[in-house]
Amino acid sequence: MPLLYVEHMTRFFGGLRAVHDYNFKIEPGEIHGLIGPNGAGKSTIFNLITGVYKPTEGSIHFRGKNIIKYPSHKIAALGLGRTFQNLRLWRHMSVLDHIKMAQFSQITYGLIGAFFDTKKRNQQEEENTEKAIKIMELVGIGKLTDQLVPNLPYGLQRRVEIARALAINPKLLLLDEPTAGMNSEELQDLVNVIRHIHDKLGVAILLIEHRMKFVMDLCERIQTLDFGEVIAEGSPEEIQNNPRVIDAYLGKEVKI
Amino acid sequence: MQYFLQNLVNGLQWGSFYALVAIGYSMVYGILMLFNFAHGDIFMVGAYIGFFTATGLVALAAVGNIILPSWVIITLTMLIAMFLNAFVGMAVERIGYRPLRDAPRASAAITGLMIGIILETGNLALLGASRRAFPPLIKPVTYNISGVFITNQKILIIVVALSLTFMLHLFIRHTKWGMAMRAMAYDFVITPLMGVPLNTIIALTFAIGSALAAAAGVLFGIAYPVLGPYMGIIIGWKAFVAAILGGRGSILGSAAAGFLLGFIEIFVVMIFPSTMRDFIAYSIILLILTFLPNGFFGEPYSARLRL
Amino acid sequence: MKATGSLPAGRSKFKIYRDKLLAPYIQVPVLGWLAGLLISTLLETFIGPYLAMVLGMSDVPALFGFTVVLKQPVLIPGVIIYLLIIYVLPIAIGARLTKSLANYIAGKLQQYPFWISAVIHIVLLYVVINTWAVMNDYRVLLAKLIMIAVIVTLSLNVINGYMGEFSCSHPGFIALGAYTASIITVLFFVNDSVLGAALLPPVLAPFLFPVALILGGLMASLFSLLVAVPAFNTRGDYLAIISLAFTFIIKSLLENLQIFGGARGFMNQPNLATLPVVFLWTVLAVWIINNFVRSTLGKALNAVRDNETAANAMTVDTKKTKMTAFMFAAFWAGIAGGLFAHVMRYVNPGSFGIKKLAEVLAMVYFGGLNSVIGSIVGAVGFNLLSEMLRPLEIFKWIIIPLLLILVMIFRPTGLIAFKDFDPKKLLRAKNKKEEDK
Repeated sequence: MPLLYVEHMTRFFGGLRAVHDYNFKIEPGEIHGLIGPNGAGKSTIFNLITGVYKPTEGSIHFRGKNIIKYPSHKIAALGLGRTFQNLRLWRHMSVLDHIKMAQFSQITYGLIGAFFDTKKRNQQEEENTEKAIKIMELVGIGKLTDQLVPNLPYGLQRRVEIARALAINPKLLLLDEPTAGMNSEELQDLVNVIRHIHDKLGVAILLIEHRMKFVMDLCERIQTLDFGEVIAEGSPEEIQNNPRVIDAYLGKEVKI
Repeated sequence: MQYFLQNLVNGLQWGSFYALVAIGYSMVYGILMLFNFAHGDIFMVGAYIGFFTATGLVALAAVGNIILPSWVIITLTMLIAMFLNAFVGMAVERIGYRPLRDAPRASAAITGLMIGIILETGNLALLGASRRAFPPLIKPVTYNISGVFITNQKILIIVVALSLTFMLHLFIRHTKWGMAMRAMAYDFVITPLMGVPLNTIIALTFAIGSALAAAAGVLFGIAYPVLGPYMGIIIGWKAFVAAILGGRGSILGSAAAGFLLGFIEIFVVMIFPSTMRDFIAYSIILLILTFLPNGFFGEPYSARLRL
Repeated sequence: MKATGSLPAGRSKFKIYRDKLLAPYIQVPVLGWLAGLLISTLLETFIGPYLAMVLGMSDVPALFGFTVVLKQPVLIPGVIIYLLIIYVLPIAIGARLTKSLANYIAGKLQQYPFWISAVIHIVLLYVVINTWAVMNDYRVLLAKLIMIAVIVTLSLNVINGYMGEFSCSHPGFIALGAYTASIITVLFFVNDSVLGAALLPPVLAPFLFPVALILGGLMASLFSLLVAVPAFNTRGDYLAIISLAFTFIIKSLLENLQIFGGARGFMNQPNLATLPVVFLWTVLAVWIINNFVRSTLGKALNAVRDNETAANAMTVDTKKTKMTAFMFAAFWAGIAGGLFAHVMRYVNPGSFGIKKLAEVLAMVYFGGLNSVIGSIVGAVGFNLLSEMLRPLEIFKWIIIPLLLILVMIFRPTGLIAFKDFDPKKLLRAKNKKEEDK
């Protein structure tokens, strides 16, 4: 059974058809790419899968459950981590708190623990801190615990977002343009980080990306989107040689 | 039926004050996303300016032995009060809000609240606790239109309030400045980059809002000729509710909500004992807000506190 | 804070001098300060009245002499001498002399479970407050009101600071708590003309008082749903307006409940809110609220405030979080209201209007958003200031708002904003090298 299974998903914004009859399937541990020109509907697809918007039509199955009616936080708790195209970090929180916050659904001490500083709460908070630090080390931000995020350079903020998404124990990680605004050095680091977490945690990854090299390096399968519709799908080689993709998106700079 | 119509007229009059004050709240809220809690007291200051102007004019006319027709006095009082109060509003903005433009909006709301307290207390300290009687500017004439009694004061108040509202609406819709304000309300960050003078527009917003508040103050003085330093609290907070009820930054919306609030209050008193007025009026508002979350004409509220 | 060889350019002589003066006190633990305070208050109890007489004052200056000075400026030198002898010197010397002992004890206490150390500190703090306050009735009343203000400020800070919404409903919650608790205690323990004879012997009153308070808090909590349900279904500034309407509704409702006195107010509450009772409730409130905002469940409020979409995507149940926090804050406001009613032994709807709102908002924003310490500082500072400036009469209400405007302009989030309050760190010995920093 596929990890995530999207069927005939359509979404209208008023009269605008942002996504049309979108189908998608990803197996555990795979890395897929989603490319397409600006405004093709890529981020909308992420928002639909994660429950920020609800699809007008179609169905989404994640880990065998139909998640159409689920609220966003429940979908996330099922094991769907994501990052955002424009960073959405919490301005007044430390890096460690970011990671710990993503473990929200794993907390069982409840309000009693929150109010009365019980043993269970302290234990759990401590465990969560340890787990969080492990995740931070995995992503390479292990030393930043007490920093406030606005003080960090952009590349590290991206990593905080990835670490945060990993903290929810994801089975599938959605990365929305993880390399946006990065220089080539940071980019190479990021490729390594993503490879590393993929190898280490075996998590499936779906990423939206504009940098072709990055996508072609990482992804096993790639979908190309234009005007809310899939125009091509296949392995990196197939996509590179697909005339429609070249027309719609890659233009003449496809030679890598 | 007559009773109903009579109360309709009373509601229109009572709503006029709310409407004029609510517009001031709404304009500032539309552009700065800020609760201008000092606005109720700016209304109070406007009423006092009107009081002094009118008293002065009457005295001047008596001393100089000139017979000024009452409409001249009213018009002059109104214009002078509006003009001067515009500067009060701009001063409040300059002192209380501009230094806090990058701060959380709630902090600016607190300064507004404090400026309001200062204005009240300042008034109390300067003029003492005694209430002031607004000079009778119009000789009340009551018209009996098939059983409905309408005084010329009521007509004046309603007509002035409505015409000011529509004038402002036209100003916002059809002039360059109005367009700049609308653009600013739409995007506070980008619009100044397009060459719109940010500070001028904001000052203008406060000036217009305060001028309308002064107009409301003068009209209030004509209808209820007893002024006190805390009169702004009574009208102000309710007008604030009306402003939000009308919808973000919508002139007609907040004016309509102001009139609606006036109607509700008058009609509640018509049916229930008058002590129940606030309870029922606000319960109705709570219900309206529950089912019409965006107010009457406004866009959805999406902004959050900039903290 | 050692003065190193090459000083930063901006460092003035004054600052160097100040650092030198303060240097010995950096290592004083909280226990030491408490010891100093205790010495000072004991000193006041025993020699305060005589000293005051010698210095020309009719009685011990109730509030550090501000009131006296503002009325009779001639007494300024006397008051300064009094403050020096009774407060500044004993505290400074006491803290310094007991430093090593206090550090030793604090260090020892660290080896035991934390609650032992906490209880010792709290008891000491209470002894200090008690010896200070019992000097005269005015101080007792003020101390109680300040502690209640601390609860109110903290609870509002949960909404306005931690959650970042702008709620105006606190006067309503306080009123609900005040009336509910009052009705219960009067019904059971007072021979009242309206609610009838006492149903239970007054011996039970102190034991059932907490129950009455909690019921008041729960009532406030329940009514807070009236605000929370419509407000949190939508977003943004909606809460401000709904909560404001709520405050008006509650006030108006109480004015119309003739059975409870209507606009005239409700009185005859039994004298149950004594200083230790109020103190205990305040400690409890600070402890629980501090626990809450420091847990991940509480920090979720910050996540919701800073970016709700991201919070949702990170498994945070934002709606539930907001509702819980709102009801939680309302609960404490209700508790504070119940205490307030029993301290004043009289409540009337008029005291839960716009003025109360302005006051609680001022305390929160003065002290600092998103900060437990800030709330305590805000409540204590605001109330002390307001009492000290009382002789100025009406001009008080020009000076305090001006001060608040200045605070807002120079520190828009309040004096001590975004400060974590870790009791364990606070209470530990200070003579060892600090691990962090």
